[in-house]
Order: sequence, then structure tokens, then C-alpha cells
Amino acid sequence: MTVEIRLPTALRAFADKQEKISVEAKNVGEALDALFAKHDRLKAQLLSPDGKLRSFVNVYVNEDDARDKQGLATPVKDGDTVLIVPAIAGGATLTAGAELSKEELRRYDRHVILPEVGLAGQKKLKSSAVLCIGAGGLGSPLALYLAAAGVGRIGLVDFDNVDESNLQRQILHDTSSVGTSKLESAKKRLAALNPHVVVELHETKLTSANAIELFNKYDVVADGTDNFSTRYLVNDACVLTGKPNAYGSIFRFEGQLSVFGAKDGPCYRCLYPEPPPPGLVPSCAEGGVLGVLPGVIGTMQAIETIKLLLGIGKPLVGRLMLYDALEQSWRTLKVKKNPACPVCGKNPTIKAPIDYEAFCGLKEKPVTAIPEMTVEQLKAMLDKNEKFVLLDVREPREYEAAKIPGSRLIPLGDLPNRAAELDKKAKYVVHCRSGGRSARAVALLREKGFDATNVAGGILAWADRIDPSLQVS
Amino acid sequence: MTLKAARALSETVAKACAGAYPDEACGLLLGPVPDGFDRPGRTVAVDEARALPNGWDASAKTNRYLIDPRLLAKVESELSGSGRGVVGFYHSHPDHPAWPSPFDLKMAWPCLSYWIVRVDDGRAADSRSWQRTEDGRSFVEEPIVLEG
Repeated sequence: MTVEIRLPTALRAFADKQEKISVEAKNVGEALDALFAKHDRLKAQLLSPDGKLRSFVNVYVNEDDARDKQGLATPVKDGDTVLIVPAIAGGATLTAGAELSKEELRRYDRHVILPEVGLAGQKKLKSSAVLCIGAGGLGSPLALYLAAAGVGRIGLVDFDNVDESNLQRQILHDTSSVGTSKLESAKKRLAALNPHVVVELHETKLTSANAIELFNKYDVVADGTDNFSTRYLVNDACVLTGKPNAYGSIFRFEGQLSVFGAKDGPCYRCLYPEPPPPGLVPSCAEGGVLGVLPGVIGTMQAIETIKLLLGIGKPLVGRLMLYDALEQSWRTLKVKKNPACPVCGKNPTIKAPIDYEAFCGLKEKPVTAIPEMTVEQLKAMLDKNEKFVLLDVREPREYEAAKIPGSRLIPLGDLPNRAAELDKKAKYVVHCRSGGRSARAVALLREKGFDATNVAGGILAWADRIDPSLQVS
Repeated sequence: MTLKAARALSETVAKACAGAYPDEACGLLLGPVPDGFDRPGRTVAVDEARALPNGWDASAKTNRYLIDPRLLAKVESELSGSGRGVVGFYHSHPDHPAWPSPFDLKMAWPCLSYWIVRVDDGRAADSRSWQRTEDGRSFVEEPIVLEG
């Protein structure tokens, strides 16, 4: 009897792409044997090692399921069609999915023996995914502890290279990785620490365009960013995707910690509806930071993250912890959900990520009326002993580290209050590190009626082109 | 390996999965049958997603799906000889990660793309695609590349 066997798309690759294969056979079993004789790779796909049809394989003779007839002994006659049809089934498991190998069980033993974690909790961690924003100071201890704890998938977002000045606090990276990608360096370190976790690298700037899609792939987001525009973006995207945000931030000797965007909890905007004016709060690069501080705050973020994943303890929702390393003190403040919050309130107006650079005033270009001069012009004026005040608007620590001789320090943040000390008849030349803060200072001074000029490129340009002996970081 | 699809198609899949919540949704992914379909590096270009009823009995539809083999056979014969075929399946994991479960692995076929959409509280969240290894021991994730 000649019968035609029809293969589903999935199996044709194992039979030289053929869809229909004619064989001689008296019953279904013989037809399959003849098929396997021609295409032996099909056998392993269709039969279990003991030679029975696998449970997910259906065989039809014409219109009828062979199982309803005589199974493999079902007779076939000339011209019959034997149809192999996949039984397509699957689905989420009832218990948390991941299984732990013996090796993993040994590694996580001190977790597993905690009744609050246990085997179920450890499996939960393995099937969880956390997105760390930034692989820097906060991201370092955070990612290291999450990897060590066995969080199954850890995503890292960063696009910087490792700089020598990072190594004072960013313990994910080491001296040999200076100049290379932070993400590659982090992946190397995390894989060495725990090969059982998957590290996903997102070497990109987090933007309004990619945040939602990215956050959707994770269970918890841990914000270790160093700037306000990204911080508001992370906050809004967390609220919009319903992902809790284990938030931490650091500055000089102080740190902040909270969990934002949790169900029924406040968000970062409830606490700080508006960012500070640009330049008022210096960044770590401008203001400095104690190297150990991110170790304290990032580790606390890891604790909150793991609590959120396991659903144990009391998450830091509705509470803001403030850490002062010099005082060695912690304070906890209550944070209430703001019903009028534009993103998590009752009638939200922000329904998709906005333009955060504009929101944080970073797109506000210096008014064109701001007069500028080059460092060469400044040098010439100094050499000629011209009468003017050289104003440095950086932070005191930056000033102590390196300054242009003869300059007077008034940090930008103090300028509005201290402008009264200045002589309106004098001529002012204003500089900062690279020209940004001083441009705002010049605008402010000119508004108040002072004759002020900005130094383009700031002290960096000065060190670069006029006085290379000056060490400016 | 890679799964390619138009963005609109992925939205259709996400919508079908969200709409079935709290039950699992399932459907077929159709497209040209690629050369070397069994190669681990193959690319599947899905040009149509066809929703099918979840044939599992009502008691466990929230964590199981089943596609009626007769419906599948019908589509296979409809596409017979056209160069197109059933190149994969999608299904949802309500309130569970978009990773294949041990049951998914037990039932999986080779070559095909298994596109899993996590649905949280009726909202499509993570979306991932997987290909079973030929030895049937594991799944390997493949990137979903959306176009348009």
C-alpha cells in the first residue's frame, strides 16, 4: 500500500525540506518506520527512547486520530494520508518556575535555610529580573550583591567607559578596565562572581523613547543614576509600567534611600515635584563624594530590591531614609502620596515619558546676549593688569583643589544672596569648571545690572591652553 | 537565531494575550519557511499571527494552553506548497515570567519559535521568544526584532 505522510513545518527541516513523503506500509507503525528509515533524525523527534510516540505527537489517518483507532497498529490502505500534527500545548507553571542545580543549592545554602527565603524564595530570586540604572558608584554594590544573591537576570544600563577617577568608589571595575566599556567590565566581574546569573547589557542612554520597553522586561528597577533628568525619567517610567523603583542617591557625605512607584505608594515626584534649577546642586564630578558612601546606599538598595522580589519584610515605601556619614546617623522621614501628582496622582497628566532635559531646564540655552571671552583673552587681560574682578563660581572644594590666581570664590548657589556684596561699578569676568555654571552666573549678574562676561571652557580650558601645570579633575 | 516581525504584529499578539487574561492566550505564527530551519542561527520572519482558541479544559486555562491539532492541520494544509508555514506559536503567561516553563519544554517542538508574552493584571508586559534545542533539553532565547 502506498501512503503519503505529511510533515508539519517544524519537522520538514529534518526531512530535506519535504512536506509529503510516500512510503509503502500496511499500518501506521510501518509507515513511520519507513519514514525513519529515510530520515533518521525524525525518529528522535517523534519517538521517546523506549520507542513509543511522544505525548506531543498526534498521528491522523485521513481525518481520524490514530489514538482513537488502534494506535500504531491502525491499518492504512492505498492512497491514505498519514498526517503528523504537533500537539501544541504549554503554559506557565503553577509554582515559581526555576529549578536549582545542586551547585546552586550549595551556593545559596545560607539563604535557603532562612525560613523567610527558603527554597521557594531562592527559586523566586532565580526567576526574577532587576534592571540597574547605572553601573557606577551605586550600581556597583547593587549589581554585585544581586548577582551573589542569585537574582536570575540582571540588566545594566550605562554607556560610559571606566575612568580612573571612578575607581575610588565603583568597585565593579578595576585598574585593568580603565578606558574600556563599563558594561563589559561589569559583566566580566559579575560572571566571575556568579556564573548562574544572566547579565544583560544595555549600552545606551536611557531615554523617553526606550525606557518603557526596557522596564517592561524587568520586575524591579533600581535607580543609581547621577542626574536629575534621568531620575525623573526613571521615576515616571516606573510608575507608568507599574515597576517599583529601589531608589538611592548620594552627594558628598550624604545619601538618600526610598522605594518609589510601589502599588499605592508615593513616587519621586510626590516628594520632589520639580527638579532644582540646573547647576544649583553640583554633581558628584563637581562636588565630590566619599568613596565608601555609594557602598552604603547601593547595598541598602540591594536589600530593598531583594525584599521586593521575595515579598518579605516591610519595604521602604512611603519612607525616605537620609544618611549622614560624617554624623554617622540615619533619619527616616515619612513621604505621603500626593493626590495631585502629575504622574501617580488621581488625575495624571503625564501618561507617557516627557522631555526630561527640557523639564530639568537643561535645554535652556544661555541667552545669546551673554558676552564671552576666551581663556587667551583672559590671560592677556591679567598680563596687562586690567581692572576687573575674576569671579569663580565653583564649589569651595573645587576652588581649593585648583584655581586661577587672583580669582574670587562665590559658588553659584550663593550668588543670588551674595550679589549685594559686589560693586556694581566693577567689571566682572566669571568662570567655572567648563563654562556652564558661569554662563548662568553671568546671566544672573547681568539681570541685576552688573557688567559680567563669561569665560568659555572654564578652568578646564585654562589648564589645557594656558597653564598645563594646573591639575583640574 | 532571531524572530522578526512588524511592530503592528507584535501589538496584535500583545493585545490578544492581554485580552485573554486571566486565561492563557495562544495562536500561530506564520511566515516563509526559512532555509536551515533547524539551524540554531536561523531567522524566522513572521508575517501573520493567527489567534486560536485555548483548547485546554476550563479548570486550568489560567496556566495551560492547548491548540486543537485539527485546527493546526487545517492551517498546515491551507499553506501546503506555498513556501509559507507554521513557523512558531505564541502564548501568554498570566502573572508569570515570559520564560518557558518545564511543561513548555516537555511539549516543545524543534525549529519553531515559541513567543511568550507575560501578562500582568491584564496588561502585556515582557515579551520573549525561544527556540528549543534539537536535543530537547533546553530552550535558547532569541531576540525579537520589530520593524516598522
